[in-house]
Amino acid sequence: MFRFTLRRILQIIPTVVVVALLIFVIFSVVPGTFAASLFADGKRAADPQMIARLNEEFGLNKPLMERFVAYVTDLAQFDLGTSFRTRQPVFDLINDRMWASLKLAIVAMVFALAVGVPLGFLAAMRPGSVLDTVTMIGAVSGLSMPQFWLGLLAMYLFALQLNWLPSFGYGNGSFQNLILPAVTLGVTPLALLARTTRAGVLDVLNADFIRTAHSKGMSEIKVVRWHVARNALVLIVTTVGLQFGSLIGQAVVIEKLFAWPGIGSLLVDSVAIRDIPVVQGTILVIVLWFLVINTAVDLIYAAIDPRIKQE
Amino acid sequence: MRLGFNFWLGAGLTALVIFAGVLAPWIAPFDPVLDADLMSSELPPDATFWFGTDAQGRDVYTRILFGAQISLTVGIVSQVINSIIGVTLGMTAGYWGGWWDDLVNGLTNVMLAIPSLIFALAVMAVLGPGLPSLLVALGLTNWSWTCRIARSSTLSLKSQGYVQAAQTLGYGDLRIMFTQILPNMMGPILVMATLGMGSAVLSEAALSFLGLGIQPPFPSWGSMLTDARQLIQLAPWVAIFPGLAIFLSVLGFNLLGDGLRDSLDPHMRTRSP
Amino acid sequence: MLKKLTLAAMLSLSVATGALAAGERSGGTLVFTAPYGSSFATLDVQASPNTQEEFITQAIHRGLYSWNSIENKPVLELADSEDLSEDGTVHTYHLRKNAVFHNGKPLTADDFIYSYKRIANPKNAFPGASFIAVIKGADEFIAGKADEISGLKKIDDNTLEITYTGPINPGFPLMQNTTVIYPSNVEDETSFAKNPIGLGAFVFKEHVPGSQVVVEKFDKYYEEGKPYLDRINIVLMAEDAARDVAFRNKEIDVSILGPTQYQAYQGEDVLKDHLLEVAEVYTRNIGFNPAFEPFKDKRVRQAINYAINAPLIIERLVKNKAYPASGWLPLSSPAFDKDKAAYAFDPEKAKALLTEAGYADGFEFEVTASPNESWGVPIVEAILPMLKKVGITVKPKPVESSALGDAVTSNTFQAFIWSNLSGPDPLNALRCFHSKTQQSACNYTSYASPEFDKLYEAAQQERDPAKQNDLLRQANNIVQDDAPVWFFNYNKAVMAYQPWIHGLVPNATELAVQPYDEIWIDETAPARQ
Repeated sequence: MFRFTLRRILQIIPTVVVVALLIFVIFSVVPGTFAASLFADGKRAADPQMIARLNEEFGLNKPLMERFVAYVTDLAQFDLGTSFRTRQPVFDLINDRMWASLKLAIVAMVFALAVGVPLGFLAAMRPGSVLDTVTMIGAVSGLSMPQFWLGLLAMYLFALQLNWLPSFGYGNGSFQNLILPAVTLGVTPLALLARTTRAGVLDVLNADFIRTAHSKGMSEIKVVRWHVARNALVLIVTTVGLQFGSLIGQAVVIEKLFAWPGIGSLLVDSVAIRDIPVVQGTILVIVLWFLVINTAVDLIYAAIDPRIKQE
Repeated sequence: MRLGFNFWLGAGLTALVIFAGVLAPWIAPFDPVLDADLMSSELPPDATFWFGTDAQGRDVYTRILFGAQISLTVGIVSQVINSIIGVTLGMTAGYWGGWWDDLVNGLTNVMLAIPSLIFALAVMAVLGPGLPSLLVALGLTNWSWTCRIARSSTLSLKSQGYVQAAQTLGYGDLRIMFTQILPNMMGPILVMATLGMGSAVLSEAALSFLGLGIQPPFPSWGSMLTDARQLIQLAPWVAIFPGLAIFLSVLGFNLLGDGLRDSLDPHMRTRSP
Repeated sequence: MLKKLTLAAMLSLSVATGALAAGERSGGTLVFTAPYGSSFATLDVQASPNTQEEFITQAIHRGLYSWNSIENKPVLELADSEDLSEDGTVHTYHLRKNAVFHNGKPLTADDFIYSYKRIANPKNAFPGASFIAVIKGADEFIAGKADEISGLKKIDDNTLEITYTGPINPGFPLMQNTTVIYPSNVEDETSFAKNPIGLGAFVFKEHVPGSQVVVEKFDKYYEEGKPYLDRINIVLMAEDAARDVAFRNKEIDVSILGPTQYQAYQGEDVLKDHLLEVAEVYTRNIGFNPAFEPFKDKRVRQAINYAINAPLIIERLVKNKAYPASGWLPLSSPAFDKDKAAYAFDPEKAKALLTEAGYADGFEFEVTASPNESWGVPIVEAILPMLKKVGITVKPKPVESSALGDAVTSNTFQAFIWSNLSGPDPLNALRCFHSKTQQSACNYTSYASPEFDKLYEAAQQERDPAKQNDLLRQANNIVQDDAPVWFFNYNKAVMAYQPWIHGLVPNATELAVQPYDEIWIDETAPARQ
């Protein structure tokens, strides 16, 4: 187990390195500069001297290779650089936002699990029933809706018409502010979980060993408890891992709509003003997050089903 | 092969989108760009303007019809690019193995690790807003799953008798891949592409919302919806119809893809809801 | 007539808000929304030119001058009085004796010298350096050729002498948020970014990154009896729709309105009486690049001005949240010419001019445009059918906001649509049409007119404000006739406020920037934590 764990963890490194190089290349050819973006709103006349001074200060006049070497050297020392806009370490900026992003992702995932898994389970118990049909149509509908549209509708309904919840923002970090964005964000994983749970449970129910258990005269409840749950768990854990890992990246639109101060909105804003060090740092963190979660899932997976290791 | 109700519903919705897009120039009552009269802006639906008019005084129905062209283009072209990249890399990796397989695997892992919306966002930032950039951005993002499927299918097909027979006959690698292997894995690839069309249309809407959508004044559903979000109280039809159009077309692609998958996978056949 | 009415309405509104300022009540929390950006870049406001940081400045900091929205001009803020030299270049400031920084340090002349040097320090590359450049010797300091700014002289703790490069009005450059005064006794300058210390009416309390800044009443503020509020939450909300919902939900006390909401709020009884409007100092326009063949001809540029029905676009699309532009200088500019008529909507005349210029069959051009709803792609979409009718094909070329500045200042456009600063100082605003101003500075349309230059240079030398404005008015009219741009509109900024809020002012430079120390909340306000 130890060697397997170590091997999976070491596999993260080359992927992160390639991602780091890829985003450096992409954002070294992006049009527009941070300095020029300061004048984009037309609220002041452009100031070529200041643009030149800032570009000089940020080292944007240096040759690409030189910048690349500096970037790699910094990264090797776990230094994500300094933001053009705030002149603070990128690491600090991400650190400030990480908790908000995590909270959003966790609550969204808990919501998806709490609703999606039981629904998928019940649907599988009675395939072809009304509940099954409604759940599956609902799930595919959830996957077909533009997220910001769903968020906007929820905002108008629950905040404005019913006045139950605050419509936007982080507030004082209260749970109420979290509900609307988290539920909206949770719809996709919910739908996927309902589907995979159903498929996983059905797979197991139709498998030979369950039929055997039935023929041995075990009651249906026991069958469910002992076999189905454990086997369906593997599928659910995989889906949860994949979804949870990518949720922080997916949250970009929701964070923007609900003015949620997570790293998704930090990324979009930084792209818009060409604060390249922050863009690179945020993407790296999102990617690293995905890889760590998935490695963790693989390890859990191996713990549930020891056959995996030998693969 | 039995195809369920869902498949036919999906096929019906998809056909509707295709008809709307193809026939738009003939069935649309107005021009989607030039027939803009500011004096008749934000009119509710009536006999002339079936879906009402938008802030510029353009007929929403007309723009939805033409919007279908954009959505179809985005969906089809991006998935063709995805499939070509995914199949080429996956099939060659599975067939040749070795260092090439390792390289493709590594690349796939990298692409899977970057959330597709964020990758598309980065590509759009480099290329600037507009339809061609969008096609490239979405075409480059979602090939990794296709690649994995193509690779594993190739691995299992490689050991089949007819492939080995072709090898003993001295057929070239490429010829074997394209004549023996590719046709036998078209099913799952088609399923991936159909499902991918849905996510491409949704990505277009999300990128529009983030300010990196298609070049106006072409009517894309995503940008129509984004523009209309201010009007949701004053002129809800401007937002409702593009939202519905996106929802129904993506639903169509998804149901079609699900139905295809269920019918191709004998294991799943009996249990389509 | 319409313009006079709106001006009158504006004035009466400002009087009305002024008159309300009686029976001020202390206490309460103001929830103020910042409609720009979705995060504060830094709390070190000297380092940031963004509008959202101006809100922090307004609460926490003070500069030598400040903008008086009622008188519509800069006034002395940190000095009780000033003496002027004969030639108008040397100002001797008698500083406020009761001003104290939040860290307890009393204000002295040293703080000004320290702050201005920090802003101009070439190592910092701060945006305010160009404002400090009006002080004699600052250019040498910015270039790294001098250790001191020669124009700054401390007479004693409470007296500061500044020598300027010319007989300018230093109020405009030295009232900016990038030229505020910091205390000179803070060892670690990087701490300003996290823990700002100023002279303002409110003390920094908390910053939730990406969400809000909280400030609390400063007990030792130099103005007697102020501020009234105990606390302000400055909340970031860039998304209009979200702000709308939050305002209707009474979660926030003020909201800057977009066109759609402006129209909606005017139609609702509970909302329509609490709208504050002002003509801001921005001119929305489509700039033509004379390097593009058809735009070399003045008649073509004029034809475009005639061919577009600007008032219709303003009424229907901008929902009257703008005033039609009749030239570059806006309504609230002291050099605005109220007798100059805007280009009339006259497609026939436009066609005739095009035919004369040799473009009877029209031509095609691209407009580089950002997604902005009031001065971006939607406006280009609206003029598209209008220009089509005179044979001109317009293509929007959408770019991200950040790329717009680049495209314009690198002169790689055929036309662009933008909103540009055109006030409050008319001399500075018209600098952008002076042929000696670089294209990349702000002469974006590479405008060059000897006639204009003569009037403008005369205005630069003129020290009598009335005569100066007269010269600038004539210069402005030359620009209008030459039509280097399509004159679209002057922005009308609208702020909705809850009925319990008092003391807001119609600030023409930026309506969202409000004097927080004047604002008070009456007893009808709902209880908030």
